[in-house]
Amino acid sequence: MSSLSATIQDVFNEPGCGKNANKSEAERKKGCTKQLQPGGAAGGCAFDGAKIALQPLTDVAHLVHGPIACEGNSWDNRGAKSSGSQIWRTGFTTDINETDVVFGGEKRLFKSIREIIEKYDPPAVFVYQTCVPAMIGDDIDAVCKAAREKFGKPVIPVNAPGFVGPKNLGNKLAGEALLQHVIGTEEPEYTTPYDINIIGEYNLSGELWQIKPLLDELGIRILACISGDGRYKDVASSHRAKAAMMVCSKAMINVARKMEERYGIPFFEGSFYGIQDTSDALREISQLLVERGADPELLDRTEALISREEARAWAAIEPFKPRFKGKKVLLITGGVKSWSVLAALQEAGLELVGTSVKKSTKEDKERIKELMGQDAHMIEDMTPREMYKMLKDAKADIMLSGGRSQFVALKAAMPWLDINQERHHAYMGYAGMVKLLKEIEKALYNPVWKQVRKPAPWESEEETWQAKALAEAAAEEAALAANPVLAEQRRRDTAICRCKSVSAGAIEDAISAFDLKTVDEVREHTQASGGCTACIEKVEDILASMNRADPALSVAAE
Amino acid sequence: MTQNAENVLDHFELFRGPEYQQMLENKKKMFENPRDPAEVARVREWAKTEEYKELNFAREALTVNPAKACQPLGAVFVAVGFEGTIPFVHGSQGCVAYYRSHLSRHFKEPSSCVSSSMTEDAAVFGGLNNMIDGLANTYSLYKPKMIAVSTTCMAEVIGDDLNAFIKTAKEKESVPQEFDVPFAHTPAFVGSHVTGYDNALKGIIEHFWDGKAGTAEKLERKPNDSINFIGGFDGYTVGNMREVKRIFDMMGVNYTILGDNSDVFDTPTDGEFRMYDGGTTLEDAANAIHAKATISMQEYCTEKTLPFIKNHGHEVAAFNHPVGVASTDAFLMEVARLTGKEIPEELAKERGRLVDAIADSSAHIHGKKFAIYGDPDLCLGLTAFLLELGAEPTHVLATNGTKSWAAKVEALLASSPFGKDCHVYPGKDLWHMRSLLFTEPVDFLIGNTYGKYLERDTGTPLIRIGFPVFDRHHHHRRPVWGYQGGMNVLITILDKIFDEIDRNTNVPAKTDYSFDIIR
Repeated sequence: MSSLSATIQDVFNEPGCGKNANKSEAERKKGCTKQLQPGGAAGGCAFDGAKIALQPLTDVAHLVHGPIACEGNSWDNRGAKSSGSQIWRTGFTTDINETDVVFGGEKRLFKSIREIIEKYDPPAVFVYQTCVPAMIGDDIDAVCKAAREKFGKPVIPVNAPGFVGPKNLGNKLAGEALLQHVIGTEEPEYTTPYDINIIGEYNLSGELWQIKPLLDELGIRILACISGDGRYKDVASSHRAKAAMMVCSKAMINVARKMEERYGIPFFEGSFYGIQDTSDALREISQLLVERGADPELLDRTEALISREEARAWAAIEPFKPRFKGKKVLLITGGVKSWSVLAALQEAGLELVGTSVKKSTKEDKERIKELMGQDAHMIEDMTPREMYKMLKDAKADIMLSGGRSQFVALKAAMPWLDINQERHHAYMGYAGMVKLLKEIEKALYNPVWKQVRKPAPWESEEETWQAKALAEAAAEEAALAANPVLAEQRRRDTAICRCKSVSAGAIEDAISAFDLKTVDEVREHTQASGGCTACIEKVEDILASMNRADPALSVAAE
Repeated sequence: MTQNAENVLDHFELFRGPEYQQMLENKKKMFENPRDPAEVARVREWAKTEEYKELNFAREALTVNPAKACQPLGAVFVAVGFEGTIPFVHGSQGCVAYYRSHLSRHFKEPSSCVSSSMTEDAAVFGGLNNMIDGLANTYSLYKPKMIAVSTTCMAEVIGDDLNAFIKTAKEKESVPQEFDVPFAHTPAFVGSHVTGYDNALKGIIEHFWDGKAGTAEKLERKPNDSINFIGGFDGYTVGNMREVKRIFDMMGVNYTILGDNSDVFDTPTDGEFRMYDGGTTLEDAANAIHAKATISMQEYCTEKTLPFIKNHGHEVAAFNHPVGVASTDAFLMEVARLTGKEIPEELAKERGRLVDAIADSSAHIHGKKFAIYGDPDLCLGLTAFLLELGAEPTHVLATNGTKSWAAKVEALLASSPFGKDCHVYPGKDLWHMRSLLFTEPVDFLIGNTYGKYLERDTGTPLIRIGFPVFDRHHHHRRPVWGYQGGMNVLITILDKIFDEIDRNTNVPAKTDYSFDIIR
């Protein structure tokens, strides 16, 4: 476990991570583990994060060492697509039992690896550690090493048992496993000046295949995609790429950065969601390759391809515009997709009324502001009542959301479209943008939504929960408007830091009382932003507004 | 290997053996005047063209693959919905064997029905003697509480007078004077099984309400607060009737179902043979005159019955096989209005669940094109449901659909943007449908078992909804009415959609990259 905790520390120190850069030394040590509230609804664990990051490697056997829970619940649950081997979809697990828990599961793991190699002969076996064997002390690194020596085949330990932290940490630990055991262990058959890696792309719904033909046309070779539709050998020899594109900014930043450090492969962060972003990404790839020695005529060819493809996409989008005129979109999704999808939707003439920033980094938020203007309504946590109110006030005609919030949206009577991993369509690239719009059009115009928004015909409008909730909200609002003292109290009670339950009032009081100037100072005094750090920006805003305001009046605009 | 007593092969396997294949091939070559396969292929492809379609639709006389059955089938269906009633079809016995097998094959239940077995003599001299003997034998053999008489074409062509015949038979003591023998003329050369349903039901009601063919006093209506319910000819009668009763009981409605055959088509296997089971009691059938209103679930199954009832002072309401949210809303609202009862919270919840399910799956049905054929009311009900789902009911065809029915479907299609470019085909048959499926292809076909040939020939996946369904078991046990019924229809449609997605992605190492466990 000591090597595991060292790896985790290393990951926490990731300088490439935008969030990390905002943290103090002490905070960084604590890691990016968002403090989970016991009793709260939680996201996936580190094991899950590691598994989903590596599972799209299609030709390796993914063996989950643990009781049935871990593989039983996660078997083949990703919509990644393979152009070749399907072995990645086979559910391999040691399915350990009570005896194994008492006497240790290492022998069973070793035998399982042997049986996989004997029966399936994959180019590599990935072994995933889970909570139970980690707790009883099964040393999967040692077992993998022994198996590797015995069978002469790569057996890769992925040490990310669930208890070490959240999903995102698991993504990074998976990246560490690749860096430590896979990348740089083999050589490609040949190299070209046009070899790139794509990192953090999972080929969900086959999205990568909407980009690949464009790269093929430019003569750019994807040496390795980590990990969508990936092959073991490609990843193992990916250190010979000339440049890299980092797709999902939070999941595998450590891989991109360390490959730059170790092998001198420059990378950029980009996105293939939306027309503009796709063009920018293609440009950057070409630019990096030319900087690394490719023939500069590549730039011209890239521009030619971009203008052709853009024209084609615009032409395909044109017919949607009248259908989307005046339609407003609320976007609830995580991380990088927020701003990249946003740009895409605006291209089609949809109006954006809000977006969630739950998983977005500060840079993501900045980009959203850039795209939507300063008054962008960014929604951190929205209750169904708030969602419904937005809808009712005609502030949104449709919600684009991740797989999990879709059901909340539905009960709040709002059309939704799933754009996260459980979606069934490929939205990447120029063609994907058109597909996304088609799906939005379907969702906007499906007759069921009219039905959803209406109460049963024998019920009166006032009796629905939506109406009651709105009336309640309106009454609260009226009460606040009539009572400035109460309104101020309510404003001060607003939670700024949810992890540590710190209100705006408490922060303001501390700033006034101790004349605080920085977020770190605020954290020291109030603990605010000492959890997931998502509220740093808000604390900064408060600091900014207070320093401008008269310190005697602690009432500051938010 | 030829057939072997040690291991008897059924026909699936047996005739695939080499010696049978050889035999069949030789037979074709030597005795069947074989055509050039290239020519066969050419004609087959030609039959898929617009040119062929125009010729097909220009047909004037011939009907090919009709999607309808004959009047007496509907009459038999009605008759068994009354307590202890045996359907008696005056005419040739072969027809009756058809009704029995048709109903048996659909419901997987015995179907009791007798015939007056008219022969050549009867065809020349009239069937009076057959009626006299037939009623007497039926009465003594099967001990019914009522014998409901209908006719086949044979009796209709020679013009047998049922009213007079039954009177004469009673005079000859075939059955007691006071024994109930309602009747209806149901020639197959008029209308279809839905017409027969209408005639037979009207015959039975008229019998009880209007003085039993002059042998009793006409009933005097003393209005009460109950309502009558008529289901119409319905392949889902077992599930639907039970669902409707559940809904009425939940609402606290006082009701009489006229022609409740849900039990006789679903008898338990417990050691007892039930020739009769359940059904509307004869007393209830008579007392139904006092109800304040009568609801028909299928307008085109009660075109004569409902006006007849209206003339007796009832308020009447007709629906078109309502399926889905809005149609069920309309039905329940009407029941609530007629009875003054409230729609309970539990039904509102069922409604919400159906809306929820539709919304959850909307993306998969949205914009899919469907062809529908079936009885007129079912076509209307399914069309309305598909429009509600955001699907496009591209072709709507009823062999037994009339011009006024077509106008109603057109109005329905015009009420939704999803009905644009959709067309209705009254009086057309399944060979017309075949052309349509080639020239204007759709994603799915909704129809009865006979649609499997269309599925095979055109590759359009068939969703079995309708009557008869011979080749899938037990569908009739599930309701398609009420919100729960709408849920069943939704699931049936979705299952086929997902099966198709799987079928299109299941070739190993070729298409199975999309063979996903989550859809």
